[in-house]
Amino acid sequence: MSNTDHNAVQTGLSAHLKEEIDHWLTKFPPERKRSAVLAALRAAQHENNGFLTAQQMDAIAEYLQLPPIQVYEVASFYSMFETKPVGRYHVSVCTNISCMLCGGEELLEHVEKRLGIKVGESTSDGRFFLKREEECLAACTGAPMMMVDHVFYENLTPARVDEILDSLK
Amino acid sequence: MSDDLVNIEINGRPVQARKGQMLIHATDASGDYVPRFCYHDKLPIAANCRMCLVEVEKAPKPLPACATPVAEGMKIFTKSPKAIAAQKAVMEFLLINHPLDCPICDQGGECELQDLAVGFGRDVARYAERKRVVKDKNIGPLVSTDMTRCIHCTRCVRFTSEIQGFQELGTCGRGEHVEIGTFIEKSVEHELSGNIIDLCPVGALNSKPYRYSARAWEMTQQPLVSPHDSVGTNMFAHVLRGRVMRVVPRVNEDINENWIADRDRYSYEGLYSEDRLTKPQMREGYSWREVDWQTALHAVADRLNAVARQDAGQIGVLAAPSVTLEEAYLTQRIARGLGSNNIDHRLQRSDCSDQQFDPVFPWLGCSIAELEQTGSLLVIGSNLRKEAPLLAHRIRKAAVKRGAQVAFINARTYKYLFPVSGYLASNGIGMVDHLAAVVAAAAQAKGVTVPASVNALVAKAQASDAHRAIAAQLSSGERRIILLGALAQRDGGFAQLRALAAALSQITGAQLGYIADGGNTVAAHLAGVLPHRGVAGQSLPASGLSAADMLDAKLKSYLLVGSIEAQDLPAGAIEKMRANGFVVALSSYASAKDYADIILPIGTFAETSGTYVNVEGRWQSVPGAASPLGEARPAWKVLRVLGNLLNLSDFDYENSEQIRDELRNQTGNVIADNRYHNTAAVARHSAAEAIEVQLYSVDAIVRRATALQLTHEALQARAGEQA
Amino acid sequence: MKSIFKTLFLSELCQGLYVTARQFFARPHVVVQYPEEKTPQSPRFRGLHAQRRYANGQERCIACKLCEAVCPALAINIESGVSDDGTRRTTRYDIDLFKCIFCGFCEEACPVDAIVETRIHEYHMENRGENIMTKDKLLAVGDKFEAMIAADKAADARYR
Repeated sequence: MSNTDHNAVQTGLSAHLKEEIDHWLTKFPPERKRSAVLAALRAAQHENNGFLTAQQMDAIAEYLQLPPIQVYEVASFYSMFETKPVGRYHVSVCTNISCMLCGGEELLEHVEKRLGIKVGESTSDGRFFLKREEECLAACTGAPMMMVDHVFYENLTPARVDEILDSLK
Repeated sequence: MSDDLVNIEINGRPVQARKGQMLIHATDASGDYVPRFCYHDKLPIAANCRMCLVEVEKAPKPLPACATPVAEGMKIFTKSPKAIAAQKAVMEFLLINHPLDCPICDQGGECELQDLAVGFGRDVARYAERKRVVKDKNIGPLVSTDMTRCIHCTRCVRFTSEIQGFQELGTCGRGEHVEIGTFIEKSVEHELSGNIIDLCPVGALNSKPYRYSARAWEMTQQPLVSPHDSVGTNMFAHVLRGRVMRVVPRVNEDINENWIADRDRYSYEGLYSEDRLTKPQMREGYSWREVDWQTALHAVADRLNAVARQDAGQIGVLAAPSVTLEEAYLTQRIARGLGSNNIDHRLQRSDCSDQQFDPVFPWLGCSIAELEQTGSLLVIGSNLRKEAPLLAHRIRKAAVKRGAQVAFINARTYKYLFPVSGYLASNGIGMVDHLAAVVAAAAQAKGVTVPASVNALVAKAQASDAHRAIAAQLSSGERRIILLGALAQRDGGFAQLRALAAALSQITGAQLGYIADGGNTVAAHLAGVLPHRGVAGQSLPASGLSAADMLDAKLKSYLLVGSIEAQDLPAGAIEKMRANGFVVALSSYASAKDYADIILPIGTFAETSGTYVNVEGRWQSVPGAASPLGEARPAWKVLRVLGNLLNLSDFDYENSEQIRDELRNQTGNVIADNRYHNTAAVARHSAAEAIEVQLYSVDAIVRRATALQLTHEALQARAGEQA
Repeated sequence: MKSIFKTLFLSELCQGLYVTARQFFARPHVVVQYPEEKTPQSPRFRGLHAQRRYANGQERCIACKLCEAVCPALAINIESGVSDDGTRRTTRYDIDLFKCIFCGFCEEACPVDAIVETRIHEYHMENRGENIMTKDKLLAVGDKFEAMIAADKAADARYR
């Protein structure tokens, strides 16, 4: 553990994270380090309870020898990355056409009421983060659906949603 | 017909275009205007504004002209109903979120969006929803932002990544939430960053010091040449009621292309600093009295005459390296007319021991544009980005675009935004030793003996792989140049550095060049503002004292021309001048009160007609943009009157062109030649390293430019000085 | 043939004289006893200039200099700068009444209805220099006659 901490001080990246980035770097030509930004950010966000800090992004930029702004650009572009502190569980309810027709919007309203927050906000206890409207998550056969972190929950009813949310502590 | 040409048809007219060219290149060449925002011929193509949509026969949809390569038989219609409809539709999209604040926008009147909205906009908006608002970013003291006006053409982003070489601005967010900015609050710090103002086609990025002070249509545009570095940057001053309101680039592909350095753009603020002098001043005991010109000039002439009658060698004349050619020439005529050869403009040079081997003028060794084509460069003693930002840009282009190998030998490590093939920072060993080792390596590789002049210097040199690599890079390939920068020229061991550089040039066959230290140094050389040479390099029967020597000699009188301040002179200069001297200063600023007895207020570079000769030897004359403040007068007029009062012959110039032409006739047969003719051995001695060149304190005007002094760069430099 | 007839019998002259005679007997006179009596003024009357403020007291002028640019007599002189609250404002706004030709272009050009021409046409100057309407004087006129200016603007708004 102390070893990891030591590395973190040196470059701002943990040994595990570096290993992960190095793994991705092998998949691209050596002069195309920029290609590994997405994978690096995903690993970094995972390590930091679901959001990215400026320090982390700077460290990634330094490690990949990129101007920091190029890492910020990627992080702010993709909706999968959060650049501000948010809740632990990322809840996203699909409201795209298939889900909308099957009651996705009512489901979202229910989640909002249940968690007491609006879309784009986090609960005060830091547990849940209700992501801004997600585009189609490609699970139309199971509409309406929602995604919590990387897990799909399909064919939902409000009761089922309560159950899922309660199970996440 | 050559193979790399294709036949296309633009608006029904057949034209030829090179393969790989984009449609917009062909339409521009044929004179068919296609509207555009994101396309800029100095930047990589992005094709994200979509304004340049044109119709191409057999293409199902309109195509962006900036990103569609020409192909054989293409028929392009730039003004067909389909093309115009597409362009109008794009304009409508661009205007959806653009605020209607043209009346308070500094870009109003010179705005590309405004212009094209007149041509392609609808008269009535169909969009009733709220426009989006974007928070303004603080990106430093030079550039103001109104990000709501941004149309996301990304010209600024591409400028930072491609021209500066370090991306500072980016597009953050996605879709409707896209914002141009730095993401975290941070200033944009590159020395060319001000150019994003000119690139921005709308009013999102504007000049901060100029903010809200004038409108584009009420100013007159006057050409200027920058006096802050030896590049001879072409600029325009925008003048309102005799005052310079802002400075913008004047395109000159041979010198500065579209760009100017921030130093050139914002230095005008220094013209109107509070300590600008508007009347002649005379010292009376411990106080100062404002006098009229006649009194002041007679007093000056009387004192100089009195000293000259006793011993003309007691007169020392110093000219700033930024004065115009005409001023330099008249200064020289006055000094020599009084009988003194103690005249110099090399205020910072400490080693003049081999000055007889100086070239007639310090030439770059090639043209500025040719720097881009070099294959291999060795830069000795230069903080290039600060000394001459636009030369650094050319060299960066050579390194990035053409893979040129650029190596440095410097006292310290400086940051360069391009791949460097070798960097030797002295780290205790001086630049001389590094250079000697490179010479030794080169001689060894070629199997030749080193020239006699540097035998003693090279004798003990230990060449490492790094030295051998630089020697090898300079020995082969096309267009190789060795450049001596300002730090080398100011170095206490300049004679050794030059002897070594010349030897290296002789061994490897690389051209030797100088980056002249100071804005108009080349002109000062040609005008004979040198103790050992007259006009156009003529040799003199006896040589006078160099700048450093004449200060040490504590002469009875000094004449300083061109707003010289303590920072421009070697340490302790003021005490030495005041020791038993009577000092006359031609200066624009009250800081001359530190050392002078009489101050004659003169116009600055923007207020004087004059000629600048740049580092390539190119003569550029400008007419003078603004009116001098108060009773200040252009220095050449002051010197002319002074010459008459001193009873010197032929001082009846009516305009600065006469002075220029007189000098031009005498310098007609001067050719640029940097060859080094010394055969005597140069002795080895240790010497003090030159002090740093600070980007924003090169001359009195820049030191007073408020916005430049607030930059991170200047603040850091000042903090470094105090520490 | 017709014109010869007309010329011969002076019929056009008679027609004209008939109009004159009709007017001569129709009404007694149309002279207005100024200054007790005044002719009616249009809301578009172009008299002395004024600068207006918004209801919250903020001056309207944003120093866009369009009036200065459009003024055919070069009567307007403006200097601008960044105000304390960061907005664009004039630091000087002078109208030379001797140069002004009261064409109303400044009013037309103004994007915020800041510079207006009021119906005031009875003013005088006693000293040299009073012909220059400075920003303070213009704002004072505007403050005093805001009700009249607003009413005139409202009356004319339909036709703009």
